[in-house]
Amino acid sequence: MSTAAAFVGVTQRFGDFTAVDAIDLEIPEGKLTTLLGPSGCGKTTSLRMLAGYSQPTSGTITIHGVDSTRLPPEKRGLGMVFQSYALFPHMTVAENVAYGLKIRKVGKKETNQRVADTLDLVGLGHLSASKPKKLSGGQQQRVALARAIAIQPRLLLLDEPLSNLDARLRVQMRAEIRRIQSETGLTVVLVTHDQDEALEMSDLMVLMKSGRIMQSGAPREVFSQPANRFVADFLGYENFFTDKSGIFRTIRPEYLSLGGDKTGERLEATVVSTAYRGVDLLVTLEAVDGAGQTVRLIADVRNAAAIEPGQKTTVTADPAHLVPLENSGKE
Amino acid sequence: MSRKTALLLLPGLAFLAAGFLVPAVAMLVAPPGEETAAVVTRLAEMITDPYELRIIGRTVTIGLIVTGLCVGLGFPIAYLLARSTSRWGGVLLALAIFPLLLSNVVRTFGWLVLLGANGAIGKLLTSTGLADESPQMLYTPLAIVLGLTQLFLPLAVISCYSAVAQIDPGLDDAARGLGAGRTRTFWTVVVPLALPGIVVAATLVFAGSVTAYTTPYLLGGSGQRMLATQLFTYASVSVDWAAASATALIMTILVFLVSAVSSLAGRKGATT
Amino acid sequence: MRGNGTRRPVAATLAVLGYIIMIVPILFVVATAFSAGRTLRFPPEGFSLQWFEAAVTYDPFMESLVSSLYLAIGATALALLLGVPATIAIHRGRIPGRGLLEGLFLSPLIVPELVVGLALYQQLMIGLGLDNLTTLLLGHTALLLPYAVRVTGASLALADPAVEEAARGLGASPVRAFLTVTLPLLRPGIFSAGLLGFVTSFNNVPLSLLLQDREFRTLPVTMLDYVQQSYNPRIAAMATLILAATVVIAVIAERTVGFAKIFGGINR
Repeated sequence: MSTAAAFVGVTQRFGDFTAVDAIDLEIPEGKLTTLLGPSGCGKTTSLRMLAGYSQPTSGTITIHGVDSTRLPPEKRGLGMVFQSYALFPHMTVAENVAYGLKIRKVGKKETNQRVADTLDLVGLGHLSASKPKKLSGGQQQRVALARAIAIQPRLLLLDEPLSNLDARLRVQMRAEIRRIQSETGLTVVLVTHDQDEALEMSDLMVLMKSGRIMQSGAPREVFSQPANRFVADFLGYENFFTDKSGIFRTIRPEYLSLGGDKTGERLEATVVSTAYRGVDLLVTLEAVDGAGQTVRLIADVRNAAAIEPGQKTTVTADPAHLVPLENSGKE
Repeated sequence: MSRKTALLLLPGLAFLAAGFLVPAVAMLVAPPGEETAAVVTRLAEMITDPYELRIIGRTVTIGLIVTGLCVGLGFPIAYLLARSTSRWGGVLLALAIFPLLLSNVVRTFGWLVLLGANGAIGKLLTSTGLADESPQMLYTPLAIVLGLTQLFLPLAVISCYSAVAQIDPGLDDAARGLGAGRTRTFWTVVVPLALPGIVVAATLVFAGSVTAYTTPYLLGGSGQRMLATQLFTYASVSVDWAAASATALIMTILVFLVSAVSSLAGRKGATT
Repeated sequence: MRGNGTRRPVAATLAVLGYIIMIVPILFVVATAFSAGRTLRFPPEGFSLQWFEAAVTYDPFMESLVSSLYLAIGATALALLLGVPATIAIHRGRIPGRGLLEGLFLSPLIVPELVVGLALYQQLMIGLGLDNLTTLLLGHTALLLPYAVRVTGASLALADPAVEEAARGLGASPVRAFLTVTLPLLRPGIFSAGLLGFVTSFNNVPLSLLLQDREFRTLPVTMLDYVQQSYNPRIAAMATLILAATVVIAVIAERTVGFAKIFGGINR
């Protein structure tokens, strides 16, 4: 698998604040890579450095093997979709999409053809004469995408592209972007704070925190084997405890069962509260773990008999889903 | 600062310095052909001279009355326009703003026609038998007050309008629902929330009134001197630089003072 | 007004009084301009257009009109040429003390114009011996800079900075991105600032008052002098012509940018 772009020891400081801290990252060619993390983790800063909108304090960024660290954005040939879409309000949809082609001095006939093709690709062929203001959020998003794709970019960069859409549209656009990516074979880098989005869309998922990469890998791999407490927490592993052999572990709420009729790691616990959610019941418990610490556990149980706060029970963790973490409770 | 940024700023700053900053500072420090101390000496003389004090007093008094009138008439206009749902609201707003584009000379000139010896108001008073002969209205403080009110009312309307327009009409409804009457709602909800806009309006009107030239010149004549007309006389008729500079200084201090007070009031209002 | 004015009788009465004070005097100027009589009086004696003819054939008015137009156009163009780049630097450049710098550009609004006029007269015309046209142009440009900076600044603040970055990403050089994206977005602001600037300069009395010269006089000051000497409807006719031109400008403003928007920029 060849590398489309690479970060080598890239650091970005704004005054005393280190936004990105010596990261190394390879973006695979023809794949969709997501940079995932909470706000302030450095994911957008990294994307902006890749696009050329800001320059790293130190380190090197290569694009297709060429050192591009100090190259201005207009010389990089990348397509960028901004969180605000940044459509040119004084131009029509078609003019927006044609903008980059005009600068590349593409002939009029070819420009029109490529604009039409790209708008068809995003399903907006019928709106080419409209002004951006007249479009819905989802349509504006597609125009921004079309504008970035039309220049046949070496990489397509998406900065939180779906965060301004409503929930239903967001799910729809995930599939849409995935489809466009596989149809065009583009290398895509997507920044998001939504783990569902990252899990569903990426080939490579890069989790960041405080300017550092916490873990990267295929979604399935990262999700089933979080490397540390931060990643586990971020991906919804609610339970952290030390087992009887003294290993710090985590497990998702759905792999905890109550009553002790299954085999696995067992803890004696007291029910603190319950929340009935229709399909399942969320039970919060308190237990003492293998290290003698009082820990809070959350079990997501189905078809459970009624259970009352104060009740004592045995919690069993499914050994197949118990994940050992590299550090001991402290992040 | 990058070199590019500096390049964008410098021409503008140079003009600003040449056309405003340097001359303004230089005037107060060194009027031509006079010692620097001359301005200060004249200033000291002025604030003890009864004639000058009367002019300062008249200027400030007229300024205060005009400010009161502009806020008192401008706020109701702004309030009704901001709360209007009628099609005419926009037209009336435009009508209130339009005079700002119109020359002060043209606007003030109307009062000459209205208040003059052969003017419309005099005619009205004599023909209805309210007065035996047309009373002297032109060249009185009343004429200046009317002229300045006309001049600055649009400014008061816009400042108040933008303040009232930002107040959620739902708050009026909420106060009414809690049992406050229309008047009580106005004074306890609308006015306090619009206060920053009212302060801005009052500051602009006062500063404008105490420095206006056209209106006291046309409607006050030589009998009702204000600081601005007096300054012109010193500079242009008697060519007394020190006196002109000293008068300019008094005017400037007056404006700065009221701006400082109002920005203090604004800051206090923001914290409570 | 929401329902009708009678539901707020006190406010409605004050509002009507306010409109009377703002508008009625202007109507009286227009009425007198059509008089057939020889003096300014009301009601006017008969109807004629003779005073309009008298106004447009009166050399001092026409010469000073040309001077005022010349000055207003020159000062507005200069203020925009200097003010727009400065605004961009203030809003988009990373400068320490940005607020202070903006305050500096707005400072001509705080000092009374008559005082500035006196300063320019003393320091530039008498002190440095500059001619009055140069001095007027300098002074008016400085006076209009706040409008350029504040009004275009307001429309710059509304524009998404990412739009310019998007243009860069699509291959536009910084200059091209500015010309094809930022400048068109600023157009309404620049137009508003230009219109306000032109009107402000054209109508100005206090700043121009002491900077007059036999050769180069501005129209409003010429009109003030005229009232002092003769008291006839010629001045009302000239005023009416200015009023008509102002109405045209107002209509253009309303059709293009919207009236209230233009003034939104000056009052913070």
